[in-house]
Amino acid sequence: MTATMQPKSEAAKAPLRGRRAPGEGETPRPRSTGLQLGHWWWALPGIVLVIAIHYVATGIGGFFAFTNWTGIGSFKIVGWQNFEAIFKDPTKLGALTNTLFLAFGSVLLGNVGGLIIALGLNRMLKTRYILRTLFFMPVVLSPLATAYVWKYIFDFDGPINVFLTSIGAGDLAKPWLADPQWAVWTVLVVLVWGSTGFAMVIFMAGLAGVPVEVEEAAAIDGANLWQRFLNVTLPAIRPAIAIATTLGIVQGLRVFDPIMALTNGGPAGATETLATQVYKQAFALGNFGGGAALALVLAAIILFFAVIQQRLTRSNPED
Amino acid sequence: MTQHRRYSGIKVGALAVPTIAALVLTGCSAPASSSSPAGGAQEFSLSFATSNTIESPFQVLAEKYMASNPNVKITFNPQPNDSYDQTLRTQLQAGNASDVVVTSPGSGTGRSILPLVQAGFLEALDESAKELVPEGSEALFGTDGKVYGQAPEITVVGLVANETAATAAGGSGFPSDFAALEDQCKSLASSGKSFIALAGSAAPNTGLMAMSLAASRVYAGDPKWNEKRAAKETTFAGSDGWKASLEAVTALNDAGCFQKGAAGAGFDAITKGLASGNSVAGFIPGPSWKQLKTAAAGSEFNVRALPAEASSEGFVYASANYAFSINAASKNKDAAKAFLDWAAEPEQTKAFAEIDGALPVTGLDSYDFNGGAYKNVGDLIKDGKYGPLPNSQWPNSAVYDALATGVQGLITGQKTADQVLQAMDTAWGQ
Repeated sequence: MTATMQPKSEAAKAPLRGRRAPGEGETPRPRSTGLQLGHWWWALPGIVLVIAIHYVATGIGGFFAFTNWTGIGSFKIVGWQNFEAIFKDPTKLGALTNTLFLAFGSVLLGNVGGLIIALGLNRMLKTRYILRTLFFMPVVLSPLATAYVWKYIFDFDGPINVFLTSIGAGDLAKPWLADPQWAVWTVLVVLVWGSTGFAMVIFMAGLAGVPVEVEEAAAIDGANLWQRFLNVTLPAIRPAIAIATTLGIVQGLRVFDPIMALTNGGPAGATETLATQVYKQAFALGNFGGGAALALVLAAIILFFAVIQQRLTRSNPED
Repeated sequence: MTQHRRYSGIKVGALAVPTIAALVLTGCSAPASSSSPAGGAQEFSLSFATSNTIESPFQVLAEKYMASNPNVKITFNPQPNDSYDQTLRTQLQAGNASDVVVTSPGSGTGRSILPLVQAGFLEALDESAKELVPEGSEALFGTDGKVYGQAPEITVVGLVANETAATAAGGSGFPSDFAALEDQCKSLASSGKSFIALAGSAAPNTGLMAMSLAASRVYAGDPKWNEKRAAKETTFAGSDGWKASLEAVTALNDAGCFQKGAAGAGFDAITKGLASGNSVAGFIPGPSWKQLKTAAAGSEFNVRALPAEASSEGFVYASANYAFSINAASKNKDAAKAFLDWAAEPEQTKAFAEIDGALPVTGLDSYDFNGGAYKNVGDLIKDGKYGPLPNSQWPNSAVYDALATGVQGLITGQKTADQVLQAMDTAWGQ
């Protein structure tokens, strides 16, 4: 199937990448040398910039994880001391737990919600284009700006508590973002609201590739709606699920601005994440070495879960 | 092929021009560091923190200087208060900070003088700055007998009270001791009001409350407590005074002293609560009385000390919480020093205090407290029952953060006083 789908132009170039084609060398084509060398140096400025700005800067940041630099003045190399401090500090371990909870919670709920919305708005519904725009809107809006709107909504004097009081449920009114039990769930609600639209768009792209004929054939064979979804639609959109969950986990693990705006990590660290801790340690408390160490830990966690997740959701086991 | 190369050249040019332009413009956007131009004109820049739309007293004073010295041009670089420390440190490290920067005495915050001096970022100041260092605060302004900050005013930190609201609340006037305060809290809570407006989600406010509670419980009896802690003669966890201070937070909470939803409230809750009279007092720096007066012209606002366990144990924080410093990398040091010399004159220190609603850094002994916003703390100051804010003497900002975050946990029931004090001890050693 893959072979037949391969474009002609690509198939024609295939021998250039692998084995030498018979007769090659006897009639050398003037353009082949240019293509082989490919003016590779065209990419050099970009490569140098990427290495200098991205990898060298990251490497230097990583180096500071092994120092006691405060952000100013001189520093000493302290080995693994910053990492030891991270794993001994209950606040940091709490931040790690919150990070994983918010990342996986938002991925799970956001993707389930996104898939349901995508299925609902995939075909037939006349207002689907307007609804798609509305559901996608949170992705376009600034997370910081919307977080402040949510902060107002969850405020003690905000609309939710006003509504609860108006229906006689005033006892349920609470400072949602400052309640140790509810704060992290409140943050999760905001994150899911922000990520659902993104997942929806990816799933809609995936659903567009599901042939209607196959679904119709399954229906003729007597498959009900759930069976058609489970055995036809879901396998067909597996690549979309892989993309949506991978991006969702990466985004969820490094979530920062909504939490800073909603709770600033409070109350008393109840919604602290690794990303907010990196900021606080490095910039608010002048512990740049500790912040850099936390950033490295966060990067390692993101990498670990991204790889695991990719392996779990890959379509072809040989990939 | 030739055409191809020409297009490549055009493309390279198209990319190079905006790139170079961007780099050039970025370079040009760095703060000006002009030297003295011909004709005796002088220029320098001034950085200060600002947290509201009210014109900063630092800017007002500098504008006054420019008005009296037409040959001087000062470029203002105001920064948001919540990111000022980070911005200042980054700019000093990068070598592009303003010529004159506003710092804080001591070592407890990101803008504190001592760590900046240790990193070599500040210029030693002359005798006029030395003379303005409040008595007993010498160690907070520099090392080795040198002074690196010039105090512009004395800031009293305690309670700012809406006296009109306090009178309207009835009772026997402003509580004279802690027990009376708890009684008044209960009385106000039953009428839907609160004695204290607290920004429970803002660490600076919860930390200030805990330090105010420690004023009479720790520092009134032992003004040198911080020095003992630095010498490892005591600890927070081992201090009865500090434990009593944090237990008092829980007592205030249990007595209903804070407004509803205080744990999640921001600074706006203090402004709204005090200006509307729904709350009587807030833990905010003394000069805020003037800003509150602007918001609620019909109310009278005064600065008070938090009632102590016994009325005889009163103690208040009064110290220079800000300072002018000169960037060691400045190319306009002469112009900057001339400004600081002018600002050190008694006329200017008095003017600065009036602009900000604070106490003057000089002449406090002869200051007439009667009739002003500071009339209720006048006796404490005249009797010497005052000291600097404790965190200015703490070794890093992590200690204050542990206190402020911990107080949040005390209010929400997440932490105990012992846990908070242990966290402060741990942070001290970082």
